[in-house]
Amino acid sequence: MKKFIIHIFIISSLLSCKNKPPFLTKIEGKQLPITEGIKSKQEIEDFIKPFKESVDKEMNTVLSYTPHNLVRTDGELESSLGNLMADLCYLKGNAIFNSRTGKNIDFAMFNYGGIRAGITQGNITTQNAFNLMPFENSLVVLELSSKKIEELVYYLITENKAHPLSKQFNLVITKDGYNLKINNKPFDKNKTYFVLTSDYLQTGGDNMNFFKNSISSYNLDYKIRNTIIDYFKENDTIKVTLDGRFMKEK
Amino acid sequence: MKRRNFIKKTSAATALLTLGGLPLQSFATSEKKHITILHTNDVHSHIEPFENSHYKYPNLGGIARRATLIDGIRKENPHTLLLDAGDIFQGTPFFNFYGGELEFKLMSMLQYDAATIGNHDFDNGIDGLYAQLPHAKFDFLSANYDFKNTVLDTHVKPYKVFVKNDIKIGVFGLGIELKGLVDPRMYKETVYNNPVETAREMSRILNEEEHCDLVICLSHLGYHYKKEENKISDLELASKTKDIDLIIGGHTHTFLPKPTVTKNIVGENVLVNQVGCYGLNLGRIDFYFDTDKNIESKGKSIIV
Repeated sequence: MKKFIIHIFIISSLLSCKNKPPFLTKIEGKQLPITEGIKSKQEIEDFIKPFKESVDKEMNTVLSYTPHNLVRTDGELESSLGNLMADLCYLKGNAIFNSRTGKNIDFAMFNYGGIRAGITQGNITTQNAFNLMPFENSLVVLELSSKKIEELVYYLITENKAHPLSKQFNLVITKDGYNLKINNKPFDKNKTYFVLTSDYLQTGGDNMNFFKNSISSYNLDYKIRNTIIDYFKENDTIKVTLDGRFMKEK
Repeated sequence: MKRRNFIKKTSAATALLTLGGLPLQSFATSEKKHITILHTNDVHSHIEPFENSHYKYPNLGGIARRATLIDGIRKENPHTLLLDAGDIFQGTPFFNFYGGELEFKLMSMLQYDAATIGNHDFDNGIDGLYAQLPHAKFDFLSANYDFKNTVLDTHVKPYKVFVKNDIKIGVFGLGIELKGLVDPRMYKETVYNNPVETAREMSRILNEEEHCDLVICLSHLGYHYKKEENKISDLELASKTKDIDLIIGGHTHTFLPKPTVTKNIVGENVLVNQVGCYGLNLGRIDFYFDTDKNIESKGKSIIV
């Protein structure tokens, strides 16, 4: 390791009698990398072992099955994994929201970047849910004005990305604008909408600023990862289709 | 004991008075003392080494290896302090499953002396952190978070003075602004106070009241923010304070080729260090003292 020596001489001619020992004479600093050359301390390894075994067992638990690869890149403005995530969060989230408020969520929207990993065809384990959603974010329902919904639409069109949207939201980009239906009804400018999203996006994450300062907000206290795990546990085979919920007019 | 009076011209009279009460023997013999400070930051629940196939850190890190390394250093110099600069939590399923219990238990087995609180240590809420405290046999230090109206009240100290080999080492903690970084429902009524003002007050207390020979700031402010010049960071803090010997940092996951030597507000050298993240490295700073009164005129050297 290269060593750089910096000597600092302290002028102390007037002051030598005013000090008290001990005096700091030398400081040495370095960084020690933790590499495989260092033998693991057995006592520590032994202590970790039962925790690890328990985590591994849970992580390898098979929750469900998918006949196809689930990825975020198999459509133009939608994806199998995005549709699945938004739809399952809507399903689970709306059940809670409805039971607590008597109202229904209009649709769910998340961010493309929030899908952290795909799921390979075959068994789905807890590990898949952790890889898909490693963060601790929770579901939140935001009441948005029609103006904010218009901002949301503008964001989707300019971003031109497959941001996850639930099937209640149908947006078609046309030659001279767009056609939006929510719950099979034309977009109504005189109405407010309840949108399900994450508490990360609520605060303007991924520049989704239309989620900030909503008319009202309702935290479901339900972690997104737990929502996914619960849905997988309840469904032994995952069925998902690309249905053109967000598309460009051909 | 105090070694800083020579730079404080205004306190010369006080220093002389204090000196008058000392027995002459204090000057008679020369004794060399050695203190070792070991530190980690942003370990983020990385308990095991990274997998062999990892794209960036193959087979690196691991707390059981860190334990061996620390044992060796303690054997070489028993006058060693082991510190962590926060973000102990969040990053592997160990945290998701056990909420930080394993992290705290292992750090206790490694005999950590103190840690400060990082923003991710609030990831299970302030109650989640509080619930794990019984598993930590080391102190949590934070001088600028006011926990008075929270469950952590009285459980976190602003600073602690350690005595190793008759050398008094004052360590205080500093945390990053939580607003905008952590959900307010997580940190609840934790009040964030200005780190610079807090650090000045801490350095005054540790130097003038506690008479520490060594003052260490354990910070989770971040090393430096290039794009946000005014954002408080370890380098900023160093330049705005005095009488702090070492700032051990975290938060920005900064890998430094070597510890940084920078200037404090009165032009003296301060050491700022951070060792990346995930338990990939252990920082080591050695302080050498001499009780020979003639030694002082020779100055101190910093070797990094």
